[in-house]
Amino acid sequence: MKTLADLKKIREKAQEEMKLRGGNTRIKIVVGMGTSGIAMGAREVMKTFLEEIANRNLTDVLVTQTGEKGLSSLEPVVDIIEEGKPKITYGNMTPEKVKKVVVEHIVNGRIVSDYVVATGN
Amino acid sequence: MQDISLHLLDIIENSVRAKAKNIKIRIICDVQDNILRLIVEDDGIGMDSQTLDKAQSPFYTSKEEREKKVGLGIPLIKQNAEAANGSFKMTSEPGFGTVLTVDFQLDHIDRMPLGNLKDTLLGAVIGHPEVDFTIKLTSNKGGVEKSFYFDTAAIKEELGYIPLTYPDVIEYIDQSLLEGIQNTNMEDV
Repeated sequence: MKTLADLKKIREKAQEEMKLRGGNTRIKIVVGMGTSGIAMGAREVMKTFLEEIANRNLTDVLVTQTGEKGLSSLEPVVDIIEEGKPKITYGNMTPEKVKKVVVEHIVNGRIVSDYVVATGN
Repeated sequence: MQDISLHLLDIIENSVRAKAKNIKIRIICDVQDNILRLIVEDDGIGMDSQTLDKAQSPFYTSKEEREKKVGLGIPLIKQNAEAANGSFKMTSEPGFGTVLTVDFQLDHIDRMPLGNLKDTLLGAVIGHPEVDFTIKLTSNKGGVEKSFYFDTAAIKEELGYIPLTYPDVIEYIDQSLLEGIQNTNMEDV
């Protein structure tokens, strides 16, 4: 069974890490989770991002969910927000595409232009 | 929507949009009473009786920023519950919040499966760090009651400023939910 004592260990480990590299969030990922997004597979997209973050031990990435933004025909939709750079919106996302975006964009800083449906605000 | 946990995700997003700070989710699976019950309670802005009526009819939406105003989430779950000899009830009070109770006849041939509850809860809990979730799963089979209780406020308190998206925390929450779902036999409902 998982207990709060396990969390305490995680916290101590994370605090050590943050002391070394600073606690800043480098990239924010926002997954659109409106009714149509959910129906088109946004839950699996969200899940794949979380899996990849855990597997690759990405400690400077945040993922959140939000309601839909009028891009229903392009759902599931994902925004990648990085300070000082224009927002990148990826559309028609699938778990496979998420894996590619994580490797290319999140880890290596190369936008996957094939999946981009909008840029800027 | 192919399963109940996708509807649950949609309901959670409604609560978040209604500025809920606390969302309570209860799922009860009772073989004796032949019922699968989902209760979602939030402390969001709530609705007056007029809005409450509208929310249950197709094509109403509270999402004003959207170009296409189509709201099918609530009518769909209502329809799916009724198709499984169940019921749908939504009560709300402006300024206090909203409570949704959805019942399904457990062994009804047209009842949708519960589906991937773990991924629904994992995404919602981590994707909305600003919201505190309490989750209680209860199963009752052959007179044996099993429960699982999960409270994100306690987790956040223990973590301090460490975000929920920290890799080990994701795994912790994932594992906790998995254990709870397995212990209450909710994987294949």
